[in-house]
Amino acid sequence: MPDPVSFVPPIGPTPAPLGLRTDRPAPAPDPSAVPTPLPQTGPDQVALSIDGQAVVVPKGTTVLQAAAQAGILVPHYCYHPGLSVAGNCRMCLIEIEKMPKLQIGCATTVAPGMVVKTRTPRVVETRKGIQEFLLINHPLDCPICDQAGECRLQQYEADYGKGFSRFTEEKVHHPKRDDIGRHVKFDAERCIKCTRCVRFCDEISGTHELTLYDRGDHTIIGTFPGKPLDNAYSGNTVDICPVGALTWSPFRFKSRVWFLKNTPSVCTACARGCNVDVATYRNRIHRLTPRVNMEVNRYWMCDDGRRSHEALYERPRLERPLLRAACGEGPQQPGTRDEAIERAVTVLREAGAEGGASQGTGAAGGSAGVVAAIVSARLTLEDLVMARRVLKETIGIDRIVVPPHEAGEDDDLLIRRDRTPNARGALIAGIAGPDAGRLRELVQDIAAGRVQGLVVVGEDPVGDGLIAPDALRRLKAMVVIDWWRSPTAEAAQVALPACGYGEHDGTVVNFEGRAQHLRASIRPPGEAEPAWRLLQSIGQACGLKAAHDSATTILSEAARSVPAIAGLSAQSMGTAGVLLKGA
Amino acid sequence: MSLPVRPETDRQIDALLTRFPRKGSALLPALYLIQGEKGHIPEAAMEYVAGKIGVSPAFVMGVVTFYTMFRRAPIGRHHIQVCMTLPCALRGAGGVMKHLEKRLGIRRGQTTPDGRITLSAVECLGTCDTAPMCQINEDDHGHLDAKTVDAILERLQ
Amino acid sequence: MAFEPLLTRNIHKENPASIATYMASGGYQGLARVLKEFTPEAFVEEVKNSGLRGRGGAGFPCGVKWGFLPKGLDKPRYLCVNADESEPGTFKDRLLIEKDPHLVLEGIIASAYAIRCNQAFFYIRGEFHGPCRTFERAVEEARAKGFLGKNILGSGFDLDLIVYRGAGAYICGEETALLESLEGKRGLPRIKPPFPALIGLYGCPTIINNVETLANVTLIAERGATWYAGIGRPKNTGPKLFCLSGHVKRPGVFEAPLGIPLLELIHEHAGGMMHPDRPLKAAVPGGSSMKILPAANCDVLMDFDSLAAAGTSLGSAGGFVMDTSVCIVDALLNLARFYAHESCGQCTPCREGTGWFVKILTRLENGDGQPGDIDLLAEVASRVEGNTICPFGEAIAWPVQSYVAAFRDEFEAHVTQSTCPLGAAAGRS
Repeated sequence: MPDPVSFVPPIGPTPAPLGLRTDRPAPAPDPSAVPTPLPQTGPDQVALSIDGQAVVVPKGTTVLQAAAQAGILVPHYCYHPGLSVAGNCRMCLIEIEKMPKLQIGCATTVAPGMVVKTRTPRVVETRKGIQEFLLINHPLDCPICDQAGECRLQQYEADYGKGFSRFTEEKVHHPKRDDIGRHVKFDAERCIKCTRCVRFCDEISGTHELTLYDRGDHTIIGTFPGKPLDNAYSGNTVDICPVGALTWSPFRFKSRVWFLKNTPSVCTACARGCNVDVATYRNRIHRLTPRVNMEVNRYWMCDDGRRSHEALYERPRLERPLLRAACGEGPQQPGTRDEAIERAVTVLREAGAEGGASQGTGAAGGSAGVVAAIVSARLTLEDLVMARRVLKETIGIDRIVVPPHEAGEDDDLLIRRDRTPNARGALIAGIAGPDAGRLRELVQDIAAGRVQGLVVVGEDPVGDGLIAPDALRRLKAMVVIDWWRSPTAEAAQVALPACGYGEHDGTVVNFEGRAQHLRASIRPPGEAEPAWRLLQSIGQACGLKAAHDSATTILSEAARSVPAIAGLSAQSMGTAGVLLKGA
Repeated sequence: MSLPVRPETDRQIDALLTRFPRKGSALLPALYLIQGEKGHIPEAAMEYVAGKIGVSPAFVMGVVTFYTMFRRAPIGRHHIQVCMTLPCALRGAGGVMKHLEKRLGIRRGQTTPDGRITLSAVECLGTCDTAPMCQINEDDHGHLDAKTVDAILERLQ
Repeated sequence: MAFEPLLTRNIHKENPASIATYMASGGYQGLARVLKEFTPEAFVEEVKNSGLRGRGGAGFPCGVKWGFLPKGLDKPRYLCVNADESEPGTFKDRLLIEKDPHLVLEGIIASAYAIRCNQAFFYIRGEFHGPCRTFERAVEEARAKGFLGKNILGSGFDLDLIVYRGAGAYICGEETALLESLEGKRGLPRIKPPFPALIGLYGCPTIINNVETLANVTLIAERGATWYAGIGRPKNTGPKLFCLSGHVKRPGVFEAPLGIPLLELIHEHAGGMMHPDRPLKAAVPGGSSMKILPAANCDVLMDFDSLAAAGTSLGSAGGFVMDTSVCIVDALLNLARFYAHESCGQCTPCREGTGWFVKILTRLENGDGQPGDIDLLAEVASRVEGNTICPFGEAIAWPVQSYVAAFRDEFEAHVTQSTCPLGAAAGRS
């Protein structure tokens, strides 16, 4: 039986653009309508009626899930499909025939012939009451609350509330702006005690930092003194907090959520490839939040991934081509794109690269050992395919090394030791897998002067401490393609500006062999462009007959020739990705 | 690191761990042992007992703050808890409390400056037949009025 | 009335709690009879036939509850004795524990035998220091005599009993909160279903019975279901302990068959009203969570069904009485404070509603009430009632609703006169 929660449309942290909400309350059923007769079911199925609709669900499904399957939203706060059922918010109380009390949809299992009603006057009145209760001690500070616009209290008050309160008393006061964790702020007055965050730390991260303190209307979420909410997944507590109690410190007061545009994409901080929504406003990425993919990351992502876009704004960008006369001599000067491509081709030829209009491919291998390349497994599949065609097949660089990036160990949840998002893509593209040994040899050969020219795409071996800047002085040619002015880019003769995270389309293949679509969500700064396009231009200058205008055509061409990705396309990947055959 | 409790308490807590079908059940009795030794439950002892039982310190804190009998801070040598719930209130608990406050020179929730007596207002102690009543440490005192209260205070050292 | 005390037969003896006293009057012979003459299943039937209804508050038939245990499940079964007596006005279990612990213990052992349980727990409220010590002593005595431990009375039946102290939380009297507490957690009631008979302590089938219920089991063990069913009224069988406190001359616990008139309890057993010049204003027959009866409606019989018909409940039979000096608003405020203090804070209506009641009632009592406040109280109560995880919601909603309904004029007077007409606010602590 499939995980019964998996078909629940999760109402995640994602703000839907105004007017496009998919979670509107169901319209009240027509009381005069004749209920649909319940169909016959299989042995593991249950047929029941919800608001007059016949619904067939697997045994063990809850009423809330069954309703969701029928397109009927039963409003809820504490229920989350990825967590155990707490049943404390009472917002999902619904009417079930033959049961005198209202029942909570989240904890009531369907039974054959059950007649569920989610929109009766009694249910409607009860929801108004729950809303009123939740708001009596709430500060009602939406104008200064980051959650406004994606706050369930707000949303449900509009959909189910009375719109006013009869509470005229002094509210219960609690601490505000509490640094409950390194990246998480806690406003205890906004908290509705749904315990999603507590359950997350108990059940998912397994770190148990959070607890309920005290009781009655003084109940409050808290940590043990000196033991803050500080685990590798703490940001998820913010996502699942249905109100503005837990906020992600880096995002506080950065943007109103209704200005944000979400682009479904993939996190590239490790080989898991967690599905994310990239939230942008005014051409800037403001946050990454997990996008549900039950096959990859379920509802979650790690804090490192969540913060991975911050590098875009912390590191100096490479916005236009930079050139210098010879390795290690004088400062770099800006140049035009054409100059830079021409210079790159020239210096690589001088260093011994054989590529050229007359030669077609570099199969002769004359440049082996003379010109080498370091290509990153952080690049997209399209970048890597182009890197193979240009560097290996056109220029004739046989020695292409992919550096590994590993840290720690795989954990039990999401984080992978392999911090590259596309190591399998590098293999599929015909480059190579990450290989520390080959990288070490290359570094030694550079230091010993046995390498004359070096192309680096998307890597920073200098900054990573692998190559001493002095060693690079012996190179005759050094061409770097990267999104930022890394120490490696600064050492280059020719540095070409590439797109950073979120600025280009492409494909990444995670550690399990799942191809996923990385989507552009912002425009690159200055003259930066996708790495494949820069590589293609170098290739074209060396006689490559290729003129791709988008990553899409690179992928479709590769999908025709590389069996591992046969038939792969943006369409086939959709938003959930596709597991490659033989993966 | 030195133990935050006496070796004897530590040994008793170890014995509790195997007394129940699941060792989680040992938490409440262990907290009683700690409070018995220390007079309250310091944070270091919460961490210690969390380690013994295999739960997080936060979990222990949640438990300590849930139950009114567990104290996070020291109190006076004598803890006078006056029941204020309706059956006692009907028979004059309010007057008893006021008398105590006057005699001790403190308000409910406070401790005398010499650390001798802490005065608390509490909810029903299940002895309504002797209302109004109070509990002083582990002993119940019923049928209170100004005179009996004075006599009790005389005896408290 | 020629009623032979059964539950309180030993309490006036010398050393009532000692096993010697208990055994001198035939104690533990009922247990011996059960172990010898009954299979466990047969004794479950016997208790069913006795008609014994739970004495904790809900009045659910005890034998039927036992019958809910799943058959053929390879898991231990637990019996948890609910000695977390915390309902204001209730102190009957305390009397049994202090004065006749072996009467309770014998019932525990017989019940554990009936439900095939080898590990029982006695969850006693933490504030009961003295009763707890008495009971622990009784357990040691019983163990020494072979009524607890391995192969009890040669029957092959083993039983261990652990006395577990609560630590100050009214809610732990709710059976699933009790289980949570017993597992060493915050006492938050669980969502039901699943019921404890199926998934209880440590996830195993569990029966939770009240102290007085189990003392009654001893009586059934001694003298049989037929005899037992002859006491009281149909469907409301057996002797019952009634607590009475508040404005009566002799507050206390009184034993009588179920169905004794409330007024008889007040005027005969409890010696009548405390002050001759202050007549009865109202009584709460069942404990603070139950609905109030104004004096005019106090001519009722004290059993489950009669009180239900009168619009209230027997509850834990923790009755208390108020005379005409009492301000009803002040009394309700007092209870609201209790419930606000004791709400576990888990579910929304109870957590938020209990505090709200206190705030409205405080204003009313202080003369700051608004005309809409009285309807608001009742309305908020109706939004709490039935919508919470556990019966605590009703425990506060019912007093609020019934006090307001029965004494609306008095509430209104607080608003129109902008003060407490009885001056209770000024006199209150």
